Amino acid sequence: MVPDLKLMVFKPAMKLAMERTGHGAALGLKLTRVERGEVEITFPYKEEVIGNPMTRVVHGGVIVSLLDTCCGCAAISVSGFSTVTPTMDLRLDYMQAAEPNKPIYVSAKVYKDTSSVIFCRGLAWQNAVENPIAHCVATFMKLKKK
Amino acid sequence: MDKGTEEFELTAKKARENQSPQDIIDVIPYGAFIGISAEVLDGNVLYTLSKKKSNIGNPSLPAIHGGVIGGFLELASAIESIYLLDIVAVPKVVDFSIDYLRPGRFKKMYAKCSVLRQGRKLINVSSMAWQDDINKPTATARCNFLVP
Repeated sequence: MVPDLKLMVFKPAMKLAMERTGHGAALGLKLTRVERGEVEITFPYKEEVIGNPMTRVVHGGVIVSLLDTCCGCAAISVSGFSTVTPTMDLRLDYMQAAEPNKPIYVSAKVYKDTSSVIFCRGLAWQNAVENPIAHCVATFMKLKKK
Repeated sequence: MDKGTEEFELTAKKARENQSPQDIIDVIPYGAFIGISAEVLDGNVLYTLSKKKSNIGNPSLPAIHGGVIGGFLELASAIESIYLLDIVAVPKVVDFSIDYLRPGRFKKMYAKCSVLRQGRKLINVSSMAWQDDINKPTATARCNFLVP
């Protein structure tokens, strides 16, 4: 199999951009897998992002950020660095509450890549992938960089 | 009822009495993490997301992270439900859907929410975020909560 050179250059750059800057750094997320159209992220539990002071469960907004990041990375991984892929919309279903003090795992997969739109779905889980805490679908625009 | 629930109920009650939704945000750590504040203006609650470096998603533009805008609207919707309705716990989100209409520039963002329906089991809240011009929204979202 021919190694995917583009992806080899792309992986460290994406890891750096997501883990070391901005909101990704603030959350402390880690990109654990980057393939063409498939990305996985791990988020360690953080007290600063608690959404419910009674149960100490992280706020849903964190799950939005994780899934948006993960789906966004999957979208860029199929479109390449010469395009920008802003999120058009994201829909999230919460299946169950997250448990406190446990990491959250997130995966995203591009299931359709067209000339102008990228369709992606994502999953967030803790104990088992078969028992997710949230599921999302997101669409991304494909725009040429100015 | 445990102590935490009692404390939260008291916070929510006081916030309503003093017309200060900010009191509710103050006990939710995620609010400070992304920098949300709330004030009552003409009887409506106006939510503000402060300009914070840790909220940047795309450093080259720079633009606010789409997930942060989502978190902002989701938290604002939850606060709106706790503040306006007689709810004593943080409502559980069932689903959340957001449309991104414009890039979120690296500056202050505002939001307003409206509770479209409160049933016995579900609360439906619609929300909108904007930056310079309220007629040019950055994003709109809708959220369904389970009544705790």
